[in-house]
Amino acid sequence: MIKKILGNKNATSQVSSLMATKQTRYEALVKALHADLFRYAYWLCREKQIAEDLVQETFLRAWRALDSLKDEKAAKSWLITILRRENARRFERKRFDMSEYEEATITDTKAMSSEQDIENHWLREKISLLPEEYREPLVLQAIGGFSGEEIAGLLSLNKNTVMTRLFRARNQLKDALEKEPEERGTYNG
Amino acid sequence: MDDLQFRRTIYADPQCTDEDIIQAVAADPSKQKFVNDIQQFDEKLLAALKVPVSDDMAQKLILRQALNNHQQNKKKTKIHLALAASVAITAGLIVKFMMFTPSHDSVAEYAFAHTAHEAHYFTNNDTANITLASLNEKMTSFSGNFTDKLGDLIFADYCRFDGIKSLHLVYKGITSPVNVFIIPKNDKFTYTQSFSNNRLNGRTEQYKDADIILVGDKSEPLQKWQENIKATVTWAI
Repeated sequence: MIKKILGNKNATSQVSSLMATKQTRYEALVKALHADLFRYAYWLCREKQIAEDLVQETFLRAWRALDSLKDEKAAKSWLITILRRENARRFERKRFDMSEYEEATITDTKAMSSEQDIENHWLREKISLLPEEYREPLVLQAIGGFSGEEIAGLLSLNKNTVMTRLFRARNQLKDALEKEPEERGTYNG
Repeated sequence: MDDLQFRRTIYADPQCTDEDIIQAVAADPSKQKFVNDIQQFDEKLLAALKVPVSDDMAQKLILRQALNNHQQNKKKTKIHLALAASVAITAGLIVKFMMFTPSHDSVAEYAFAHTAHEAHYFTNNDTANITLASLNEKMTSFSGNFTDKLGDLIFADYCRFDGIKSLHLVYKGITSPVNVFIIPKNDKFTYTQSFSNNRLNGRTEQYKDADIILVGDKSEPLQKWQENIKATVTWAI
């Protein structure tokens, strides 16, 4: 009986030490990847609050399934896959109260102080107006640092399609940039 | 590689390091300039894509997980507690039923079983030295009293008569001991006035406050015993 209790105690301490390593892994994952994940989420839904909720839900799911993540290098794409699924669920849930205006409302509460800020703001507007199928690969490439093949894998597309979309995304943004230099001035003026 | 293809490739991936792209850039300064332009544009793009992240987001995520985990653990403890409690209750109920539930429907069946079970403790040669006083002392809890000795009393003590606390008396008989059970009133048994199996006879008599069951072997005149009891027992009001 005493042996049994002692054995149990050993097992509990083992479990708690496992939990401790799990906790460490989790915290490292959060610290390393939350910013990228949030930005990806933001460009998916273009709303800060929803993006934060998505990231939160994603990390909670990640915690529950953390043992299934064997390769830390795959962590980012793993989390992105969870987040995409979470985002898709959001649409299933909110199918009926989808708002009628589709236009993105970018609310940047920060005061635009420098030239750089103004340009960022203007570019963000343009990025948010890109079709989602162009925007998502672009974000994955620029923020996520994924290659064409990896993006193709994440989005279940073939690589040529991904490269075409990346080309179109940049092409449209560059066009917009070159077309509207005057408007940019008046926009903020 | 034609110019259009080149431009498309750079637009799609400004950091492209494919061998033919590198060669094309090296061969043509205007291509180099184009690549530089796009890379510069891409830097702006990246700066724009990097929307500000609130400083405490990581902390919030870790906290949220910790709270969530804590709640789940609490839930688990609750479930464990509930499981333990229900196991305890089940065990308690089983014990209760096994100990205190009459397992025999008829009093005859049980009386024989009880007698047979304890038969080897008592023989007719046992010393019978229990006094009337000590018997009556035990009888008080059944609010009964014997005015006279019925015979030589070998044994008198409380026992569980199929789960019901009752008084078990063993008297010397003609060839083997006679068992008298005094059982408080209850609605668990169905009484038959007399009963028997191949070895033993039994008789029951119902009084106001208790029922008295007699069990003895075939040679025992149980009816006589019964009459004696009837003549000597009195019940408190």
